[in-house]
Amino acid sequence: MTNVLQVLVLGLLLGGVYALMASGLTLMFGVMRVVNLAHAAFTILAAYIAFYAFTLFQVDPVVSILITMPIMFVVGMVVYIALFPRIENSPKYVEMTVLATFALALIVEGTLTYFFTGIFRSTRPDYATDSFFWGDLFVPKGQLWALAVSLVLLLALWAFLKFTKFGNAVRATMQNRTAAEIVGVNVRQVSTVSFGVGMALAGASGSLLSYLFPFFPARHWQWVAILLSLIVLGGLGSLKGAFIGAMALAVASAFVTDRFGPTWSPVTFYLALFIVLLVRPQGLFGKVVRI
Amino acid sequence: MADIHVEPVVEADEAPAPEERRGGSRSRMIVGILVAVVVLGLPLARPWISAYNYVLQVGLLILMWVAMASSWNIIGGFAGYISLGHNVFFGIGGYFSGLLLAYLGWSPFATALGAGVVAMAVGVLVGLITLRTRGPAFIISTIALLLLVHNAIDNWELAGAASGLSLPLPPLPVEWLKVPFYYGMAFCAFGAVGLAYWLAHSKFGLGLRALSQDETKAEVAGINTRMYKVTAYGLSAFFIGVAGALFGYSLSYLRPTTFFEIGLAAQMVLMSILGGRATVAGPVIGAVIITAVNEYSVVQFGATPLNIVVTGLILLATLLFFPLGIVGSLREAGRLPRWLDWDS
Repeated sequence: MTNVLQVLVLGLLLGGVYALMASGLTLMFGVMRVVNLAHAAFTILAAYIAFYAFTLFQVDPVVSILITMPIMFVVGMVVYIALFPRIENSPKYVEMTVLATFALALIVEGTLTYFFTGIFRSTRPDYATDSFFWGDLFVPKGQLWALAVSLVLLLALWAFLKFTKFGNAVRATMQNRTAAEIVGVNVRQVSTVSFGVGMALAGASGSLLSYLFPFFPARHWQWVAILLSLIVLGGLGSLKGAFIGAMALAVASAFVTDRFGPTWSPVTFYLALFIVLLVRPQGLFGKVVRI
Repeated sequence: MADIHVEPVVEADEAPAPEERRGGSRSRMIVGILVAVVVLGLPLARPWISAYNYVLQVGLLILMWVAMASSWNIIGGFAGYISLGHNVFFGIGGYFSGLLLAYLGWSPFATALGAGVVAMAVGVLVGLITLRTRGPAFIISTIALLLLVHNAIDNWELAGAASGLSLPLPPLPVEWLKVPFYYGMAFCAFGAVGLAYWLAHSKFGLGLRALSQDETKAEVAGINTRMYKVTAYGLSAFFIGVAGALFGYSLSYLRPTTFFEIGLAAQMVLMSILGGRATVAGPVIGAVIITAVNEYSVVQFGATPLNIVVTGLILLATLLFFPLGIVGSLREAGRLPRWLDWDS
């Protein structure tokens, strides 16, 4: 029984981080209909920034969020302006975003491999291997901090979307792009900033990933498949869905890890994707996607 | 009734230049025969080729990539459903025949077609699940399928897990070793291109192109879009599976990373889009260009991580500046030579 509880706790701890990683992707799809296959590649890029900030300047990976978020925010806006206005009017826009970000992911992956090699990296702050104990139950400190940071950032994102004027414009664009444009929303600007925000969230995820999971450049495919699986589960473009999907699948994968070993943990997400497509193709909280 | 109406429209369209048309299909025929003669005759030119095995190896790779890109084009081009993990079928084919060879001693030359059938069956079964929806979910599922199978093979002891499985070489003298593989790949290439040609000229292919334009309208017009998509996905897996079986045997070693790196799928996507999606000649041209570029850069600079950067850059440049690809752009400009136009 303790064991079940323990696995549940470990799953929920990581669920917050998965939710943070997926939130950026879901925001991008929701606002801009961009399926960003390069999202995890940029997350890994941020992880390398955090890694070098830690090894060269002893910056704590959690603190390094203050570096990675602004950098990735700017990178995101530049990428958006460079790529997407060109394909905006393409008749098969969603598909074009997939192919363009696929190409982008290859470029980022190859560049990272060229400079940082394919060796496994991971930052090692003191708390990464430390735990709190409550009786038989242990709570790894690093994962607890990561959960706390994730929840704070997700809460901030929610408040930003809910209570600011700009956030309202973003949500309006998510609901109906054309209508938002008619009532005076600058859709181009909203899209550019939202892409930046999504990438900033990838930046924060990278900082946390740098000590939670060993990484190397090509690892981003696994991550992007995991994240996309869970946003399909939650319903593409639904932030609430992404959060619940992340929590549910993180717990499921914790049980799979406990049962079959860590190599099978990503498989949980892929299988969940196929089951969702079989049972409820639009996801838990999604409307039927119109392309 | 519909047929009676469609027929004259097509003829009227082409009526202005019947002479040119006939001349065009003759030049096309000549090019086709010439390519077939060169491809099939190359291994016989042994006395005149100095680095015989190297030339054959490059020829084999080009034929393999022609088969792969043309096959990808069936689902990614004609049906308009992007598959980013398409090399999963390459791996399934390679492991199916490789395991039969390693454990039962059956030659992959005998089982390669079976490998194609298995790859196709997997495609149909998976497609029945993932092609129920439209849009991005399918694309995501193709990556997930690739990683899923990769993970399974990585942990499957019987197949040598992550470290791989060595296979016996075919019992042939070394100077003839490449020849059967070469002809096997030629079979895959002609098969896949022939399939694409059939799709460009058949009612089934017309249905696929219709649903790639507008799925709802295609459905309303009476096309069973789901079965069309699933069939296209299955067909696009077949020759890739056969090629995988031959390729694994030619390496005499099965290793998961040889077959399941997503970079292989990226090459298929790139070749197909660079040459021209949903055209017959496009993927062939794309495959020849990209294989030549890859071969040249590996000889010149070695295999570096920058190769994948170049793949990404060419793909991005194509998408942004001429998304129709070589054949598509030429056709739009009205400059496509008849011998390259295998679509009409």
